[in-house]
Amino acid sequence: MSAGIGFAKRYNRAAILFLSPALVFVFAFVAYPVAYAGWLSLFRWDGASAPQFLAAGNFVRLAGDAIFWQALFRNILVALSAIVLQVFLALAIAYCLVRIVPAFSRIFLFFYLVPVMVSEICIGLLWRFMYNPYFGLVNAALSAIGLDSLKRGWLGESATAFSAVVVVMSFTYLGLYVLLFVAAVRNVPEGVYEAAEIDGAGEFRKFFSITMPMVWDAVRANSLLAIIGSLKTFSLVFVLTNGGPNHASEVVSTYLYKMGFGSFEMGYAATIGFAQMVLTALGAWIAFRYLKRVGAGAGAWS
Amino acid sequence: MTSVRRWNLTSTIVLAVLTAHVLMVIFPFVWMIYSTFKTNREFMRSVWSLPKSFSLDAYVGAWSGGALGGYAVNSLLIMAGATMITVILATLAGFALSAYRPRWLPAVELSMTAAMAIPAYVALVPLVVMLRGAGLLDTHLGVILPTAAFNVPVSIFIMQAFFNTLPRDLFDAARMDGASEWKIFLRVALPIARPAMFTVAIVNMIWVWNDFLFPVVFINSPARKTLPVGLTDFVGEHITNYPVMLAAILIAAIAPLILFVFFERQITAALIGGAVKE
Repeated sequence: MSAGIGFAKRYNRAAILFLSPALVFVFAFVAYPVAYAGWLSLFRWDGASAPQFLAAGNFVRLAGDAIFWQALFRNILVALSAIVLQVFLALAIAYCLVRIVPAFSRIFLFFYLVPVMVSEICIGLLWRFMYNPYFGLVNAALSAIGLDSLKRGWLGESATAFSAVVVVMSFTYLGLYVLLFVAAVRNVPEGVYEAAEIDGAGEFRKFFSITMPMVWDAVRANSLLAIIGSLKTFSLVFVLTNGGPNHASEVVSTYLYKMGFGSFEMGYAATIGFAQMVLTALGAWIAFRYLKRVGAGAGAWS
Repeated sequence: MTSVRRWNLTSTIVLAVLTAHVLMVIFPFVWMIYSTFKTNREFMRSVWSLPKSFSLDAYVGAWSGGALGGYAVNSLLIMAGATMITVILATLAGFALSAYRPRWLPAVELSMTAAMAIPAYVALVPLVVMLRGAGLLDTHLGVILPTAAFNVPVSIFIMQAFFNTLPRDLFDAARMDGASEWKIFLRVALPIARPAMFTVAIVNMIWVWNDFLFPVVFINSPARKTLPVGLTDFVGEHITNYPVMLAAILIAAIAPLILFVFFERQITAALIGGAVKE
């Protein structure tokens, strides 16, 4: 199709016209507020009286705020757990569904997706019951198999609260990754597996030597999705523990919420959000550069 | 596609393990459902057991205050508003990204991807300030606008993925006939895009219905609260009647589940289309 210069201009103008409503909207309610958060982070402000300029004061406070760093560290733990308990577990499940029991894949996938569709608040409230020390199914199940000594108030104790939340997260989001991997695993050509079968490869061999490498792009994309999701996490933690007890399951979002809308330290709350975003972007940039170098090194071997 | 497979020991073991796992995933919901048919005393006596007689008291109790119905109406209004805005903007933008592809489009795609990665709570305090300034704090519109904005980027990519599957000759043919770009969008693209728009609408409805962060921060009046926010209040007030609490949770969870049961194919396709971009 030979599009002349007139066409190119016309396309350009049309593209701008069609895109601008969405761009203006996203700029007004996403980009501008984020920049505004950076500006607000320079002030002490209770949301009502006049803001008081602090320069870098909030950032100095943040640097020495152990709760913030612990919360950030927990966000990273959530991300790591998501990669193991959601992404890689989902890949194994997807392989089984597509390759080993394809007749049941549709019905299993449906059930795995049910928690993805229900609101995190409903899931969280439901799991508060599951973990309830008196009426909870978790303790009831432990009793049933004779492990009464392990019974405890899972969400109420510092030692177990965070792990208990991580378990619910895996329960909730696993299905999304199963779905995404089922799509990817289906795209691996059948012939490759047939050749491997002729050579006598078992299911484990086929999974690690064929499926894993051939869907590696999806693994990377889904890991990225899991990391982004982990940094966004709020509702589940809010409804399960609200960061407690004594900050034992605090993540950045719940800490920000408490600072901004519990203690009315709006400036500091903005600082928390802005700093986390900058630190995350920095981390992503370093990881990207490092991975590129590792990738270049690995390229020499392939 | 898949060759006929022999049923063997591996398949049997895998089927058993997966079945056990799926049952674990689904059991909390099953337990929630059958527990709502118990009386509170029955529940306290044994949390495991099936209901002896099917009592509907829990549903009567959950619905009697009338609060849940009001919350559901608020959720419905916000869901309708945010979904409509998102679908319109995403269709226009997705069409542009797919059909024109000028040189600066990678920059747009990159900024939309970045917008998807930004946690909504980073914008929370500034949004409160902006909404208060505009007189939109504690209104439905104040929740609708930011909610839509945060859902627009991923919806654009779902629409773009759809438009990318269309042959470009389709639009060129209309151009040869002298149609303007706007006419091409309205008369050619829009009618074909209807199923994709429907898909984006369904997933947005589920996202917005389930959303918690913006409604909990931006709305204070009990009469304007959404279902997930109101539900946390409700559960707090009925702390002693467990079947009633579970019935309320089930009522709040049911709408997205019904959508999922009916539109499973479209929803899964949209989730895949939205994730592939990242």
